[in-house]
Amino acid sequence: MSSNLPDFDEDAPLLEVEDLSTTFRTDAGTLLAVDGIDFTVRKGETVCIVGESGSGKTVATESITRLIKEPPGQVDGTIRNKGLNLMELSEKELRSIRGNNIAHIFQNPQEAMNHCYTVGWQIVEALRVHQDVPKKEARARAIDLLDRVGIANASARFNDYPHEFSGGQKQRAMIAMALVAEPDLLIADEPTTALDVTVQAQILRLLNELQEEYGMSILFVTHDLGVVAEIADRVIVMYSGKVMERGDVFQIFEQPAHPYTQALMRCLPDKGVDTGGIPGQLPDPLDPPDGCRFAPRCEHAIEDCTIGEQPAEMEIDSDHEVSCVFYQHGYDESVVRDRELEDDTAIEDSSTEVGATDD
Amino acid sequence: MATKKPDRFDQVDWDEFTDSTGLSISINTKLMLVAALPLVALYLFDRFRVGEREKTFPKLGEDLGLSGLFETLGLDYNPSNLDYLFIFTIFVFLIYLVLPLYQNPRMTKYYWSEFKRNRPAVVSLVWLGIVFVGGLLGPLFIKRPEQDILRGHQPPAFYHISENHVPRCLGEVSNGRCHGTWAHPLGTTQGGKDILDVIIHGMTISMKIAFITTLIVATIGITFGTVSAFSGGWVDEIMMRFTDIVISFPTFILFLLVLYIYGATLGMFIFVFAIFSWGGTARYVRSKALSVTEEEFIKATNISGASKYRIIRKHVVPNTASSIITQLTLLIPGFILFEAQLAFLGLGDSELPSWGQLIASGRSDLSFAPWIVLAPGFVLFLTILAFNFLGDALLDALNPQAEAEADK
Amino acid sequence: MGLGKYITARVAWAGIVSLVIVTIAFILMHFAPNPAIQQAATDAALQGNDPQEAIERAEELRGLDRPIHVQYLDFLQNVYTLNWGWSEYRSQPVPQALLEGLYYSAQYSVPWTILTLLIGPLVGVYSAINMYSWKDHLATGFAFFGFAIPNFFFGIILLLVFAIWLGWVPVIYNPDVAVFSLENIRQLILPVFVLVTGSIGGIMRVSRNESAEFLNADFMKTAKAKGVSPMRAYAYHVMRPTMVPLSTTVVGQLLAIFLGSSVLVEVVFGIPGLGRLTFNALINQDTNLVLGSLLVFTFIGVVGNLIEDLVFTILDPRISYDDR
Repeated sequence: MSSNLPDFDEDAPLLEVEDLSTTFRTDAGTLLAVDGIDFTVRKGETVCIVGESGSGKTVATESITRLIKEPPGQVDGTIRNKGLNLMELSEKELRSIRGNNIAHIFQNPQEAMNHCYTVGWQIVEALRVHQDVPKKEARARAIDLLDRVGIANASARFNDYPHEFSGGQKQRAMIAMALVAEPDLLIADEPTTALDVTVQAQILRLLNELQEEYGMSILFVTHDLGVVAEIADRVIVMYSGKVMERGDVFQIFEQPAHPYTQALMRCLPDKGVDTGGIPGQLPDPLDPPDGCRFAPRCEHAIEDCTIGEQPAEMEIDSDHEVSCVFYQHGYDESVVRDRELEDDTAIEDSSTEVGATDD
Repeated sequence: MATKKPDRFDQVDWDEFTDSTGLSISINTKLMLVAALPLVALYLFDRFRVGEREKTFPKLGEDLGLSGLFETLGLDYNPSNLDYLFIFTIFVFLIYLVLPLYQNPRMTKYYWSEFKRNRPAVVSLVWLGIVFVGGLLGPLFIKRPEQDILRGHQPPAFYHISENHVPRCLGEVSNGRCHGTWAHPLGTTQGGKDILDVIIHGMTISMKIAFITTLIVATIGITFGTVSAFSGGWVDEIMMRFTDIVISFPTFILFLLVLYIYGATLGMFIFVFAIFSWGGTARYVRSKALSVTEEEFIKATNISGASKYRIIRKHVVPNTASSIITQLTLLIPGFILFEAQLAFLGLGDSELPSWGQLIASGRSDLSFAPWIVLAPGFVLFLTILAFNFLGDALLDALNPQAEAEADK
Repeated sequence: MGLGKYITARVAWAGIVSLVIVTIAFILMHFAPNPAIQQAATDAALQGNDPQEAIERAEELRGLDRPIHVQYLDFLQNVYTLNWGWSEYRSQPVPQALLEGLYYSAQYSVPWTILTLLIGPLVGVYSAINMYSWKDHLATGFAFFGFAIPNFFFGIILLLVFAIWLGWVPVIYNPDVAVFSLENIRQLILPVFVLVTGSIGGIMRVSRNESAEFLNADFMKTAKAKGVSPMRAYAYHVMRPTMVPLSTTVVGQLLAIFLGSSVLVEVVFGIPGLGRLTFNALINQDTNLVLGSLLVFTFIGVVGNLIEDLVFTILDPRISYDDR
């Protein structure tokens, strides 16, 4: 069952998402989880999608290979994997993309594996649904990978059941499972959130190493800017189904332009500012407000923020775009700039970078 | 209570109506005493005063000097031991299950709104209500059906069969076919017994089985489970092993042996099935009691020196009540079915006009008189179905978690 | 505790349970009035002899004058060495009569069990996949119908319709046809259908409710993300975990129906199997045969429960043998 899909254009970006909207039909009405977002992932880079829980980032990534249950969900837009439009593929063709070209790891490793099968069986399954590899060879590859992701005594652990693995080990095994078919893109949905801090750092380091080794791209979903600093090349900030700001990791940390990004920054534990979280709640996804989605919680919001559509993204630097009224013509962007935060994060950020690369 | 909206049966503050701080007795217990005392008195009177061949009520009338009054009222019953137990069980049911629903209108309202979303269960409840009332009051108004060969094989109303099969047609005869009459709405058996009457008397039997076994199972199960949980250690171990044996017992087979050796009365049937069916209840109560003990509020009462009995009464029993009721509701149809099966085989109490016996009696005439089998068969089927639907609905209504999961 | 040790302990426990049941049977038999002895007393009285003397002689003849523990041990030895006595009614040794009955019971029990185990979980999982659709409601309705309709009543109705009115199947069971013949299939199709209808409902409900949980489990999303097809996911990732909770009820439910209904079904359809043998033994006051057939049912029950526990232990990799 090796991938025999035509039309891969090796020069096209690895993943191009245009105008992606995902909605869910519920009894209470249509729920708008992702509202017309665009983003690109290039070969070998790590893109982080950041936002509070409920901002639509998980739904956005699960829409890429349509892991969303349809119905009640519905995915619209264009998603190109190396030039191939995934939206036009049949379910069967999509299956040959899932796991093979685009792999997933999820937030909760405790439940992500079937308790009735050995870890090895489940890794081999991930390989053999795509490639006609003899069992023995598949087993050998799975053991190699288990070893590579840092499971000690891998050939013995191959026959263990998930409940015999610790949380961190399970996530390592999940990474092995995702990598066994050698995908181009790994979508990691909060893979460290359910783990303790020390294990979290190990897993992030492992992902960094594996990325270099396999030359794959990573689309990383998190709500934790600390994690972003350690792993990201580029950052997309999402709020209520919309993109608020995007840019490379230095731009985002040194010059957070959108009030929402700034609010997230202030929530970082060692910022010394207000760690009580962002006041207010996410808007009702069944009935999102007019204008900027963040306006109801924004301290700078003016009347123009609450009318019309979400403001168009304005490029304020090369590849640094922000969706905020104050960056448009005729408004004063200095109102929303936070100089204190910018100076502060510049220092903080460099130290984090050192921390991330010194192992 | 009034300020807190109970969102499930379990969380109801039972103190409201089982308030027993010290010696004060709840209104329910007082009522129970008031109801049970005359019953016990009558039973003792029956036991020691009334002769073997005498009827209880006429004898009572004689002793009280009210023979004339009793006769005009038609009080000539001769209740059996099982009847006393049945009436007692009905009192328990009304006072400890139905009355609390009335005493707690808020809870009842919520509970009902959950329950009525399940249409089949509401219909089932209505049907079981009919069977309950029919079984309880029917025998007081309808005499036991008797043989009358001349009235044999009458077809039900709106049905007609060839005249040749009917010894003497009571209804209209046209084109050589005998039509049914309203005198026998469901027709008669070969022996001329009215089928509706037999079915109503059969309701009494089914209700006796349902209520008495339930009471016995609940009593043994709750006692065994709580004692086991609160004893702990090896006592607990032995009691639970014993429960394992009881659960894996082939009760039906054992009952055949009892029946072979001692003969089978309805009382014996109820007794044997009840004493081998409490295993599941005991296991459940024990596990619940253990988890309740762990909870903080119990620890607090324990420290303050409250007695174990009090803990059981005030926390364990109320907390498990809803699940036990559900479990029992799902046990009952099995008992009713077993009785019908034994009666069908002719191994039951041949004196009892039960549904199974009626089905058996109609088997040989099935090809031309199918109503004899069909009528009691459907009543039996509907009753078992109703108990199953009811149990299923209770399971949903009392377990909001399961429902939330199912809605996901 | 390892698996081997657990199995040993569980088998020993089954032995204890069977011993308790046999003991209860002994106690029941021992304290019951024995009709044969009363008969002897009556005969003696009628012939002008001393009834008391006749009773003593009759008891001596049957070894009933010995101390109770000797009788008990004797009874146990006979039970466990299959020395179950002579059947008056069948004029053959009890084990032989039972074996002949088993031959006929197995002919419908085996297809019934296989069909139930195949169809029940499949329909249950199918129902869960299509939860709250009309297919699910239909399956649920059938499940309730199945376990609410009394087997014997359903059997009579089916016999009336398909044997008497339509003539598609024979009315009277013929014990002499070959086991693997069309004729045998025709005469067994109704009893098997009745039993499957009765047993499948419970299995369907359990597999539906249990598999619903697994259908929404995280590992199903993992499987989808791996590129596993829905059919494969249902077969491997839903069916397999559903087997674990199902295994705890399947044997119990089948046994309950077998122990409770085989007598009825065999009487209704005229199959000369174990159930009918038991029934005839009861009617004909053949004590040895009654006891023998009840022992067979008891042992089937004990062994069934044993198998259920062992299967559960083997199916669930998470189980720790120390827990039980």
